[in-house]
Amino acid sequence: MQQRIPDRPDESIDLRKLVVYREAVVTEAGEAPAQPARRASVAAVIRNPWAGAGPSTDLSSEQARVAPVLAKLLTDRLITALGSVEEIESFGKAAIVGTAGEIEHAGALIHTPYFGNLVREFLQGESIICFADTRAEAGETLIVPLWHKTHAATRSHYQTISARVADAPCADEIVVIAAASTGPRPHPRIGDRTTDFAVTTETLEEVPS
Amino acid sequence: MSIRKIVTVVEEIRTEGGRDVTRPARVAVVAAVIGNPWAGQGFVEDLAPGIDANASELGALLAPAVLDALEAPAEAYGKAAIVGLGGEIEHGSALIHTLKFGDHFRKAANASTLLPAVEKRGAAGVVFDIPLKHITDATIRSHHQTVEVRIADAPHPNEIVVVLAAAAQGRPQQRLASLSTEQ
Repeated sequence: MQQRIPDRPDESIDLRKLVVYREAVVTEAGEAPAQPARRASVAAVIRNPWAGAGPSTDLSSEQARVAPVLAKLLTDRLITALGSVEEIESFGKAAIVGTAGEIEHAGALIHTPYFGNLVREFLQGESIICFADTRAEAGETLIVPLWHKTHAATRSHYQTISARVADAPCADEIVVIAAASTGPRPHPRIGDRTTDFAVTTETLEEVPS
Repeated sequence: MSIRKIVTVVEEIRTEGGRDVTRPARVAVVAAVIGNPWAGQGFVEDLAPGIDANASELGALLAPAVLDALEAPAEAYGKAAIVGLGGEIEHGSALIHTLKFGDHFRKAANASTLLPAVEKRGAAGVVFDIPLKHITDATIRSHHQTVEVRIADAPHPNEIVVVLAAAAQGRPQQRLASLSTEQ
């Protein structure tokens, strides 16, 4: 299905509001990080395209129409919030579906190529994008995981950001979130796969029970 | 002053009450999570030295940041101080209820009214509402509004979250009669 991403997305996706959250760590545990990172999330509150539809409803046409618009809108705002796409090192995604919807509706907007592939492309990543999703009342906090956009196993970049919109989602809405970071955790020092000791029950002298 | 992190939140409302908002309504919030200057000192009678050492610097940091985040002239504004559980509300009030703090925002926004405020003590992740009023006439009813904020990991017991908020307009779909119609 070939569709242009519309210039003015509001009406095409029934957008109620956008919330951009950004934090810049200055010090952590009393010391400035060697590589200070900025983290951001962008949340779009839209009407659930399938509100009121039953579980046999085919989700494919609406997900192909709505998800690309969200991918463009959210990544544009993320890049603006964090400076440039080159500075973004980690990414993640999430959705909170209102109580009148199914968790499958959240999945339809973030777990298909119409969102994930485009977010990855816009943020110049290669990794699978890690995620969180839930169904909740307005004001729920969702902790969004992030990992490295080109090397997902990079342990220094395992981190999370809390996303919350005070008055969303209403029962018939979905909050769709993209999140990113410009660097690692403030003081990463738990090694990596390249430095790990091979830990098995055999190599440990004693496994606590 | 020891700053742990700076948090920026921007809300942009496109529809309200089921109708488009003519111009997307923007509200920006910038918060500095700082160490409580009076932490660990017991009951400090004279807060003036701590105020002198921090309030102006905080105002100078936050005022341009919140206007940058808003990306538009401010028409309404407000402030907040959220004190961690190890401190007194008086510590937060000390930092924001002084002209040394607020004048930076008034000057940057060409404003003249007092900044409405919330002062609160709470655990990290506490939710707080910042009241905003018009920047030159606090009786302009269309601009009375609030913005809700939460920072997941702040304030720690020995921290204070100091916040400025600005709105580029009144409430979306504001349509109440002005105060003068009832006087």
